[in-house]
Amino acid sequence: MTAERKVEDVTAVRMVINWLGLGLFALLGVAAVVPLFLIIGDVYIKGIDAINRLGGLWVFLTELPPTPFDERGGVGPMLVGTLYMTALGALLGIAVGFPLGVYIGEMRREKFANVARAGVNVLVEFPTIVVGLFVYAVMSLAKEDLNRYLLYPLSKTLSPVGGWISLFIGPLDGFNAYAGAAALSIIMIPYVALITASAYASIEQPLREAAYAIGGREFNALFVVLRKAVSRAVVTAALLGTAKIAGETAPLLFTAFGNTYYAPFTGPTGAVSLWIWYAAQTPYDVQIASAYGAAAVLLTIILTIFIIARIRS
Amino acid sequence: MLLIPYLIAAYGLLFVKLRWGLRLFGVFIVATIGLLTVMFLVEAYPIIARDGVAVFLEARWDPVRESYGVLQALAGTVLTSAVAMALAMPMALGVAVTINEILPARWRGMFGSLVDLTATMPTVIYGLWGLFVLGPTLQSLINYLPGGMMTSPYTLFTAGVLLAIMITPYAAAVIREGYALVPKPVEEAIYAMGATRFEAVLIKLRYIRNYILGGFFLALGRAMGETVAVAMVVGGNFVRLTTNIFESGITISSLIALQFPNAASYQYMVPALFAGALLLTLFGLAINAVAIYIIQRGQI
Amino acid sequence: MTGGGSTFVAPQMFGWSKTFYQVTGGKIQVNYQSIGSGAGTAQFLEKKLDFGGSDVPMPKDKYQQVAGRFVQFPVIIGSIVMAYNVPEIAYQKTGKYLNLTAEVIALIYMGEIKQWCDARIKALNPGLADKLPCKDIVAVHRSDGSGTTAAFTLYLSEAYPVWNQTVGWGFTVNWPADQKAKGTGGKGNEGVAQAVLQTPYSIGYVEFAYWAKNKDKYDQVGGVAFVRNDNDGKYYFPTTENVAMGAAAGLERYARKYGAPPSPEADWNPVSIEFTNPPRGYPIMSFTYVFLWKDYAAEGYGDAATKAALLKEFFKWVLTEGQKQGNIVEGYIPLPSEVARIGLEALNLVKP
Repeated sequence: MTAERKVEDVTAVRMVINWLGLGLFALLGVAAVVPLFLIIGDVYIKGIDAINRLGGLWVFLTELPPTPFDERGGVGPMLVGTLYMTALGALLGIAVGFPLGVYIGEMRREKFANVARAGVNVLVEFPTIVVGLFVYAVMSLAKEDLNRYLLYPLSKTLSPVGGWISLFIGPLDGFNAYAGAAALSIIMIPYVALITASAYASIEQPLREAAYAIGGREFNALFVVLRKAVSRAVVTAALLGTAKIAGETAPLLFTAFGNTYYAPFTGPTGAVSLWIWYAAQTPYDVQIASAYGAAAVLLTIILTIFIIARIRS
Repeated sequence: MLLIPYLIAAYGLLFVKLRWGLRLFGVFIVATIGLLTVMFLVEAYPIIARDGVAVFLEARWDPVRESYGVLQALAGTVLTSAVAMALAMPMALGVAVTINEILPARWRGMFGSLVDLTATMPTVIYGLWGLFVLGPTLQSLINYLPGGMMTSPYTLFTAGVLLAIMITPYAAAVIREGYALVPKPVEEAIYAMGATRFEAVLIKLRYIRNYILGGFFLALGRAMGETVAVAMVVGGNFVRLTTNIFESGITISSLIALQFPNAASYQYMVPALFAGALLLTLFGLAINAVAIYIIQRGQI
Repeated sequence: MTGGGSTFVAPQMFGWSKTFYQVTGGKIQVNYQSIGSGAGTAQFLEKKLDFGGSDVPMPKDKYQQVAGRFVQFPVIIGSIVMAYNVPEIAYQKTGKYLNLTAEVIALIYMGEIKQWCDARIKALNPGLADKLPCKDIVAVHRSDGSGTTAAFTLYLSEAYPVWNQTVGWGFTVNWPADQKAKGTGGKGNEGVAQAVLQTPYSIGYVEFAYWAKNKDKYDQVGGVAFVRNDNDGKYYFPTTENVAMGAAAGLERYARKYGAPPSPEADWNPVSIEFTNPPRGYPIMSFTYVFLWKDYAAEGYGDAATKAALLKEFFKWVLTEGQKQGNIVEGYIPLPSEVARIGLEALNLVKP
């Protein structure tokens, strides 16, 4: 009798701990997203109001930014710059980050892989402005040679295609969109790598052996057969990384520099994040409004990418 | 220049001899980090030549007299990161558990996306929110408690809290991955032993401690490297070393971001800032070394 | 064309740029970005920018390296106000603003005057003396390197020599108040403005426009200070007229001292000293200077002839049309015509 009662008491205590503990986790989980609602709500309320005041959505997406005198304006040049640089940066970031992540995760027994993992951990923590300065330094050193030996002849060969090609390919100025994209990609690589590494490291041995057995060549096994097992993580990695670099400001300061006009990508290029950085800190209402509108636009783009990816996966 | 053929070679190798191809990518990243560190050393050299290691061990910022020390920035980085991690890791664990254990299946995707969304917000927006909302709110809150003293809304504590909100999704993403992939046999065994839900959660968390560690480092790196948002709310007091998180301070990343634009006008400021970056790198390497040591001892 | 530098002038520069863009039918794009006065100067000297904008003249050491190859001239004037947050003496409550002098402001930022009820503050404000509370002053300054700080500290250095000896002036300085009293920093003018609004018993220096936009909010919690011009002993309220008066007086003093108005090829550091703490008018103000090369082809710029011609056209417009009422952004003060003339002279030296 006594033993049963004791078991019941213990069970009761454990049940209480159970509910308290789970409740605590739930609370923490919710706490992680509450600020999000506050911020998103704030941005969208002010942003949508701003877009309406500044001329409506189409105007906002295409026109030049407003000066303190203007009553309407938009983020056209900056939007184009952000889309281009983020796309390029993400492409490069995934292209390098994914194999890197596979290496760190899959071949983690190797000593060098651990060195690489430590290296990636350190890369993640670099102040982003420093990455921008690094690309700026490399750019300064390499610009002359790059222009003379590669880009100038290339643009000459391509010029029959049409005048528009010179907007994309041609001799580079000191500040240009490609330097910006390079800085962004360096920032993105560790995120993609670490999340991919987790995915590959978590594949259980039996599954891996089965994949190798079916796949034949290693390449087949890792990338084709195991695709389903890791795809969700890899997609998350790509999305998070892309979203992060879309919002980055500091690395673009000395690489892309910024531009308030439509201009070729071989010269200074604007970015939405740079505009928000600048405009939100002026005292002029119309510019502050455009900053919130720009933030709303940026958020919407990122949200759309997220939703599309989630639906497909 | 060399880069493009290198990457093409690495990719090509992937198809032929997979492992070597992958290794090339590892080499690439180590080389990049090496180059970055070399750049720091080269840029920081003038002030190390002049002051020796004093620049790392002192807390000073007097551009008029060209006298710099970055210890207070390191202390700020350590303190804000500590506050941020102390708040973020529980939240990240909470997110992982909530998604995988508590929520019904239909809601999991949405909640997960919400958490990921926190990561997508441009840092400038976080900074602005911190400036207008979080800072004043925290000041009212802390000053309400007995003994709490925040003279300014913008302190190391404010920066730490803001960082926590920003880095949680990164840690959460990694932990969620691990959590969802706990093998079924293991899960069944846990429940077969008669564990309550909560106890099962604890056991699973211990099972995936690798991922928690991975998430920890990702989030920590993010916290240490955050420039813009921290710069706007940390308070910018960098002439003295402070260990009180309720005072204004500065971190290495935000120090560089705030001071670099005008640093070229001074002789030794750029080297001093790069010395700060160097210090941060060394600190990061040290933490990684400690982690590897712990892992190997614990045979994880 | 690409230019960069001072953050302070960026909204005005952008305003000019866009108006000019429209005036020329969309043909000429002048892209100016705020990367900081120091970075703007450095990038200009490295030939990465076509022109630089800076809140301080070309520093002496750099001037010596490039003397004779470039010109510098002011394009706009800004003024710095002292905003404060002391609820007991808020303007809405008492109908009065505080009077302050350079000495008192300096002592506050040196951490020597620690409380609002200090006798020295009371002496300047007999009408509010009994209401000033004995609370610690929170001295707010900039956390980022800033031309505004440079102008502010230059003023304190000129007007109160003890400040010059102990602290000095520059984009960033070692604020004694951070160590000895309660000092804190804010990022950008916006950061300082917000910090003052949100922190009771604080005081901070901000550009005119940031105070003007929030005037009502500041009046509720405190207000803005009348600053005494030590040269003529009068207290001035920050207004466009008072600042313009100061600029003109500064130029006069320079001309009297050196015999002629400053040349665009000269080292402007002595000039900026004469403009600071002028004989009359509101004493705390800042100029923004533009740097141009004299011979773009010789300096190695591509398309030099076109660039030089376009730059001359743009800045000629800035110095003439751009100084007119409709083209000046709120919060900036146009150049007196004698000062604008220096810029026009400079443009003649730029080889087309």
